[in-house]
Amino acid sequence: MVGSDPADGARPGPGQRAGPQSLEVCLAAVARGDHAAFRAVYDQAAPAVLGIARRVLRDPAQSEEVMQEVLLEVWRTAARFDPSVGSATAWIMTVAHRRAVDRVRSEQRAAERELRAATASIAYDDVTEAVESTLDQERVRRCLDGLTDLQRESVTLAYYGGYSYREVAQLLGVAVGTVKTRMRDGLIRLRDCLGVE
Amino acid sequence: MRTRGARLHTLVGAYVVDAVSPADRASFERHLLSCEQCQADVRGLREAAARLATAAAVSPQPELREQTMQAAERIRQLPPLVDGQQGRLRAGQRWARSWQRYVTSLGLNAHPWLARVAAGAAVILAVTATVFGLQMASMQNRLSADRQRDAAIAAVLGAPDRTTLTAQVSTGGRATVVMSHRADALVFIASGLARLPASKAYELWLMGPAGDSPAGMLPPGRHGMTGPMVVDRLTRGDHLAMTVEPATGALRPTSSPLVMVGLAP
Repeated sequence: MVGSDPADGARPGPGQRAGPQSLEVCLAAVARGDHAAFRAVYDQAAPAVLGIARRVLRDPAQSEEVMQEVLLEVWRTAARFDPSVGSATAWIMTVAHRRAVDRVRSEQRAAERELRAATASIAYDDVTEAVESTLDQERVRRCLDGLTDLQRESVTLAYYGGYSYREVAQLLGVAVGTVKTRMRDGLIRLRDCLGVE
Repeated sequence: MRTRGARLHTLVGAYVVDAVSPADRASFERHLLSCEQCQADVRGLREAAARLATAAAVSPQPELREQTMQAAERIRQLPPLVDGQQGRLRAGQRWARSWQRYVTSLGLNAHPWLARVAAGAAVILAVTATVFGLQMASMQNRLSADRQRDAAIAAVLGAPDRTTLTAQVSTGGRATVVMSHRADALVFIASGLARLPASKAYELWLMGPAGDSPAGMLPPGRHGMTGPMVVDRLTRGDHLAMTVEPATGALRPTSSPLVMVGLAP
């Protein structure tokens, strides 16, 4: 049963860095079957998981499904989370992105792909989404602006568009090898700009 | 070997943003085991990529929270991994092991989603089915449950060859079809369909070379959701279509389909 919910009190606002109850701490409690802690994990992680699923899949219903699947995977496998591999956020977002991309690649039919290609150019500047405007978001946007056009487009088409590097190469009309290095260099620049490690 | 390593190392960015083929992914992860620089790079770039996700955050519908909590009540958690060898491994190796294990433990490593489900990744299916089941179940309650239909829905959702298709309805809204040829049935749900006057209703059809056959009248929507509706006796290559008809139903479609979903493969 999940009656009272102590973790709710420490629930950070959207986009805020986790306060006293970091995602890592919550995950450790989730690993012990703590439902209240799972609620806290949901509150912190679900918006970003849904956000990335929406960017990649576009379809709201499928995105919600992916969001729930990912959160339930987190519930199921919390005991296997290893902080030495990286932050809890990175872990959950890796799972979320991969799940969304896998679904796109396995279900996409040719016509849908073409449609997506037509809408891909708005992926980065997509303002129709009810994106929560946060400091984090501003910072990411500023850092993305610091990339070269080719780096930025390579990274965002892959991450937000769910395209493979071969598809990105085709969309941008550049060599496959170029796209691979731009993805790497763009992410390195993004990492340095954001000051994450 | 050295050039192959260098080539693989270039892949680190594409790997982190999941822009690689399954084969590339597998060879990069093998390479990762012995390349400490790559491990450090992957770790840092994953943190950067995660920030792209948090920057795209949107608020989920409030009811999804409770649904997810309820689903968790039904899912058994995996125990932690106990590994007596871990202490003896170098830090880098330990990292790579952990990485590989969690990737593989999530069943995310090898093949696309459907292939994995078909290959018997029962757990993923169970999670998916639980999510679906809950959504179905809550709808079910609102629509006065019909036991036979429950069984048919369960058969489709539990079928190993289950596929999910979604399509826009031309007059607004979205149709979702969960289909299994093995169960010889599909489950149809729609959201956000345009409201119809009382004299009209949505009707489903199976359309194929052999002609069009009526597949049922949709009940009026509740809370923006219509269905679930089970349609059986599928023929590969047929299309499921939806039209607007008189509320009493029609034997042949009298208007053009608002949505068509192909039932192959």
